[in-house]
Amino acid sequence: MVTTYFRRAYLSFLAHVVDIPPRLLAFLLILLWALVPVFKPDGFTMMILVSTNIWAIFVASWDLLVGFTGQMSLGHALFYGIGGYSTALLFKYFRLPTWITIPLSLVVVFSVAIMLSYPALRVRGPYLAMTTMAFALIASSVLYIFPKITGADSGISKVPLLFPLKLFRREGVTPLESVYQQTLAYYYLTFISLVITLLVLYKITHSKTGIVLISVLDDELASKASGINVNKFKVMAFAISALFAGYAGCLQVHFIALADPGLFALTTSFLPVIVTILGGIGTIYGPVIGIFVYQILNEIFFRKVIKIPLEIYQAKLLIFIVVILILVIKWPRGIGKFITDKLKDLEEARDIDERGPRIWKTYKKKGKKIGAIARVRARLKKVA
Amino acid sequence: MIESIIIGGLMTSMIYALLALGFTLIYGVSGVVNLAHGTFFMIGAYMFYLVTSGVFDLDPGLGLIAATVIVGIIGALIYRILIHPVIRDELSTLVVTVCLAVATQQLVLLLDTKGLFMVPVQTIVPNYTTFWGVTLTYSSILAFGICAALYISLWIFISKAKIGKAMRAASQDLEATMLMGVNTTRVYILTMALSTALAAVAGISVSSAYLGVAYPYMWFHPLALSFAIVILGGLGSIKGTLLGGFIVGYAETVVQTLYPTSASIVTVVPMGIIVLVLILRPKGLFGKRVELEE
Repeated sequence: MVTTYFRRAYLSFLAHVVDIPPRLLAFLLILLWALVPVFKPDGFTMMILVSTNIWAIFVASWDLLVGFTGQMSLGHALFYGIGGYSTALLFKYFRLPTWITIPLSLVVVFSVAIMLSYPALRVRGPYLAMTTMAFALIASSVLYIFPKITGADSGISKVPLLFPLKLFRREGVTPLESVYQQTLAYYYLTFISLVITLLVLYKITHSKTGIVLISVLDDELASKASGINVNKFKVMAFAISALFAGYAGCLQVHFIALADPGLFALTTSFLPVIVTILGGIGTIYGPVIGIFVYQILNEIFFRKVIKIPLEIYQAKLLIFIVVILILVIKWPRGIGKFITDKLKDLEEARDIDERGPRIWKTYKKKGKKIGAIARVRARLKKVA
Repeated sequence: MIESIIIGGLMTSMIYALLALGFTLIYGVSGVVNLAHGTFFMIGAYMFYLVTSGVFDLDPGLGLIAATVIVGIIGALIYRILIHPVIRDELSTLVVTVCLAVATQQLVLLLDTKGLFMVPVQTIVPNYTTFWGVTLTYSSILAFGICAALYISLWIFISKAKIGKAMRAASQDLEATMLMGVNTTRVYILTMALSTALAAVAGISVSSAYLGVAYPYMWFHPLALSFAIVILGGLGSIKGTLLGGFIVGYAETVVQTLYPTSASIVTVVPMGIIVLVLILRPKGLFGKRVELEE
């Protein structure tokens, strides 16, 4: 068949052109991401990139919980919000400096996660999804029940920034430029945090612990029978995942200087689910790629390139979700699965490469069905 | 106050039980956790608004039937096109149904060009009466009657009718049901149509008899309610769903009567019930039942 021929050509292309070791590829991508400010994007794009980094930490932590232990969470915004609110509250009532409030709020998130993991461990599947969603919604309702402490809808404003603007106010620097430099500082802070998060999560999931987590996902009963304390590992995954989500919340609050109920929003909880479909589950890097694609499409492409007017701004999310629906139905395990299939292609391509790159000859092997082109050639030969 | 709690609770509980019955039906038969169940509740209210006003301008009673049938057909189509292809994968069904819910909300927001983000919904019958010192609108009594009648007739349908038996069989043993010559896909589609139609009836009842409006964000609370009821009553149990509906409905009415000003407390009720049940009795009040029961 002609398609077979094209497939061979494509595999040959993969083997000769695209064959980069995964580690090098990851390194190159990280380098590229680190060098983005060199291209001098405007202030708005920089802000979007900072929030993309923060979201990336958040969704990567979600993948540790869901992709590796199979504990479906639809309420991950809980930890995001608790992290953000606790650092804001600690500042508001105790006037502690930032370098104390962030670790303290991480302690709060960690202990809350360990407390909540016990009731959450009793259930699984859709029940767990709904329970976690319930936790997040209860947390956001609590904000409205104590409006004097939490400020209800308006939230807690004037949270200190990590890099105050006066650091960048110098002679000969315009105010706009100093704001840009401030955003740049945030960019590198969030970028380094993201890289550290990814490294830690990668190390966890590629260690013995990671193998145990996957075994819990695959067959809980068999893991129990092998003498693994399943609950301990589940609690651990829950807590570590919450820790990183809380850290992302802290960064967000210190970036926009505001902690409002939007942190607990349902859309925050659904975001990892949506981007995981774009990137692939159980990979850690999958959701991160997903969130980059999502943010670039969502914020930069739609707002700056196509310039969708604000009136049909609602349409943006709708289009996006329809695309995701189609993707889910076409590739039920996410595009990540599609990419891993492509990686398998790469292996096959390497295999062919050993036999020599001349694809035309390998195509006409014995025992293969004669395709259309070959049939024409055979006929031509006969005529000749 | 006691009277209003007893009677008002009875009215809302019946609607909630019917809503949760749809949710538990589709879960019990096909194992789909339909996170878009609340969306059909919302679509029902909007569809009722569409058919009773504007071009069609139907009589409200006729509009109730028309809207329910339309939503049932929409539900069946959505099931066949979107949910059925991924039915074997739990995560994908969750994602598809969540996406469906958010997409519908966005679609409604997009179509609402007036910028009000809500539409007025007619009452089915005007006027009100006073019973035992409690003021009751006729439409809330009618909604209660419709819901109760539908609940009982569905109960009989599932336990006695041939298709109901097929539904129960599919929930108990899929392969055996297939071997008996039942077209399970058709059973699933029918169940989904029934389930969404029930959600629509509940949505029309709530929006026309109580709220008077339909708005794009009205899908979440019913979803939480049906989840709480189903967790309380046990999965796939029709009896349990009725009881769970009454517990959740009364709990909500009590909270609403005690704290009439705070709107956000009402949303905590089903959530709090879910968490409490899961901590105290993780298998539900009557133990976990996977298959559909009479």
